[in-house]
Amino acid sequence: MEFSNSCSSFSSSSVDSTKPSPSESSVNLSLSLTFPSTSPQREARQDWPPIKSRLRDSLKGRRLPRRDDDTSLFVKVYMEGVPIGRKLDLCAFSGYESLLENLSHMYDTLIICGKRDRKHHVLTYEDKDGDWMMVGDIPWDMFLETVRRLKITRPERY
Amino acid sequence: MALRLPSKVLKHILSFIDSNEDRNSVSLVCKSWFETERKTRKRVFVGNCYAVTPAAVARRFPAMRSLTLKGKPHFADYNLVPDGWGGYACPWIESMAAKSPYLEEIRLKRMVVTDDCLERIAASFKNFKVLVLTSCEGFSTDGIAAIASTCRNLRVLELRECIVEDLGGDWLSYFPETSTSLVSLDFSCLDSEVKISDLERLVSRSPNLKSLKLNPAVTLDGLVSILRRAPQLTELGTGSFAAELKPEAFTKLSKAFSNCKQLQSLSGLWDVLPEYLPALYSVCPGLTSLNLSYATVRMPDLVELLRRCSKLQKLWVMDLIEDKGLEAVASYCKELRELRVFPSEPDLDATNIPVTEQGLVYVSKGCRKLESVLYFCVQFTNAALITIARKRPNLKCFRLCVIEPFAPDYKTNEPLDKGFKAIAEGCKDLRRLSVSGLLSDKAFKYIGKHAKKVRMLSIAFAGDSDLMLHHLLSGCESLKKLEIRDCPFGDTALLENAAKLETMRSLWMSSCFVSFGACKLLSQKMPRLNVEVIDEHPPKTRPESSPVERIYIYRTVAGPRMDTPEFVWTLHKNPEIGVSKLAIK
Repeated sequence: MEFSNSCSSFSSSSVDSTKPSPSESSVNLSLSLTFPSTSPQREARQDWPPIKSRLRDSLKGRRLPRRDDDTSLFVKVYMEGVPIGRKLDLCAFSGYESLLENLSHMYDTLIICGKRDRKHHVLTYEDKDGDWMMVGDIPWDMFLETVRRLKITRPERY
Repeated sequence: MALRLPSKVLKHILSFIDSNEDRNSVSLVCKSWFETERKTRKRVFVGNCYAVTPAAVARRFPAMRSLTLKGKPHFADYNLVPDGWGGYACPWIESMAAKSPYLEEIRLKRMVVTDDCLERIAASFKNFKVLVLTSCEGFSTDGIAAIASTCRNLRVLELRECIVEDLGGDWLSYFPETSTSLVSLDFSCLDSEVKISDLERLVSRSPNLKSLKLNPAVTLDGLVSILRRAPQLTELGTGSFAAELKPEAFTKLSKAFSNCKQLQSLSGLWDVLPEYLPALYSVCPGLTSLNLSYATVRMPDLVELLRRCSKLQKLWVMDLIEDKGLEAVASYCKELRELRVFPSEPDLDATNIPVTEQGLVYVSKGCRKLESVLYFCVQFTNAALITIARKRPNLKCFRLCVIEPFAPDYKTNEPLDKGFKAIAEGCKDLRRLSVSGLLSDKAFKYIGKHAKKVRMLSIAFAGDSDLMLHHLLSGCESLKKLEIRDCPFGDTALLENAAKLETMRSLWMSSCFVSFGACKLLSQKMPRLNVEVIDEHPPKTRPESSPVERIYIYRTVAGPRMDTPEFVWTLHKNPEIGVSKLAIK
């Protein structure tokens, strides 16, 4: 093969894409790839996917038309501190009350809407614009149009 | 004694040669051909404004009438290049103002243009006719007003996706009442409202106006009134299409469109309400180009529109078209040459998947003339890529963006190596390629070996090691531009293949593992390359092994540039190199 005579500096074994190859072991290991695939904290980015700013801006906050056969809306649900999330079909609920009831049952603890406090797990959501919001302020239908995912915060420690 | 072609004869022959690639070849034959060619070249193209000095260009091409310049690297379009990096148009304008006063056309892409610059253009070139600014920034509507008011023979003024400081819509009123030469006007990227009466008058006195692209602030009523005055338009960018639905409004709009019998290209359509789409039906049979990237309309409405567009050659659309809609395109739009499908939800965790690989397969099967593709979707399969390559070996541009980084073939869980191998091998005329999804070094071995005509290659989140970069730099015979982000390598491959970089226009690498030491070494080794390290957050001390955020390398005969901001390191700025600890290979 044309390559075998030249530099032996190339290891022929394939390397796990998340680790630096041996020749770079002295490289500062805090340089991680910008998309650790297991992290639930991926926020809306300005540089991926690669679309121009004007298009990206025009899509933010836009209410996209619901498809005719939209009978389900699955969103990811994370409990703060728990890396593995769940998925929930919001169309299965009639409103905020039944959502909270179901979540409380799923996580085996009381979950409420509203402001964070010392005692309770509080439900928040990420909207179309990438902002994290308190659940319950807007009508349920509007909520379904804008919700991206859910996060349950832990009781605050002072 | 050899017979020499008299320069008069050569001049005459050259007057038939427009292509700059051909002219570049001509100029390499011998000194006298070089001289004759340079004195007759009218259209000058400079792909990297830092590769050569303005003075050198002006000196070499005294007959220059048209100048095209590109500044920032392509990834600047996706916010990967920090503000203030460079790409200033001023030095070029100054130089041309002094040495090429007969310049008539200026086209700039990804450059920083100031109002001063625009005023200078207006003042310096008496016969100025064409100004096209694409993805430029740094100027305000005052600068545009200067161009409008002073350039008496202005034919083309196009602001394509620029970032403009919008001080209001007055600029339009600066076109003098005597100006009747306008052929093309594009102000779609401006926000402010222009006075519709000014626009009406301008359009009425411009009988040669063929292309008009309005901004979203122009209402439907305004559009109707403009169309009535310019039924000869061949290209139209509408204003906002959202308005309270009144039956008379619809009829007026429909009638206005049906009078535009020469319309071939349609764009704009911001916020278009599906109920208004039928107003466009009369122009559909003649359309060759349709840009629906801002039209958030559902599949059934899109299909109703597209099934009437049998002559369509270029379609840009949102993924709301769904696979089913693309199947319809494949059966109705048999003349299609270019397809772009954009993501309607650019979030990484989008829950809806409107298009899959199947949509692109439909179009590849049904549209025999398809040669250019840009496709965003969440995941893909090798089988689909293989089918696309088999059906469309005539592809010239293939850009696939699998939005989920490292996504494998979702049916087999394998990397997409086999699929891209098929593309590289099968599409022998491929000039531009963007890859994505899970890819191992093997994929790049195939690309390096088979993609002989690829000039521009874009890579994100791929590969296992330096082998990947090595395959590309030691293969890819025609490679001119390579841009890479978030891939886990590159000192060794970079240094091994340093010579290749002089045959290319540029190399961009960001969020990879390139060390500062390697950058210094490369700079020292290759004096005809500018090696720029772009770090917004550099560490306090820079050990050799510290990785750099971004590196931009380009060949140049202009030497190091003097206008670098603080966050750009070049060898020239920091001569205290010391001895590198990296072995020189």
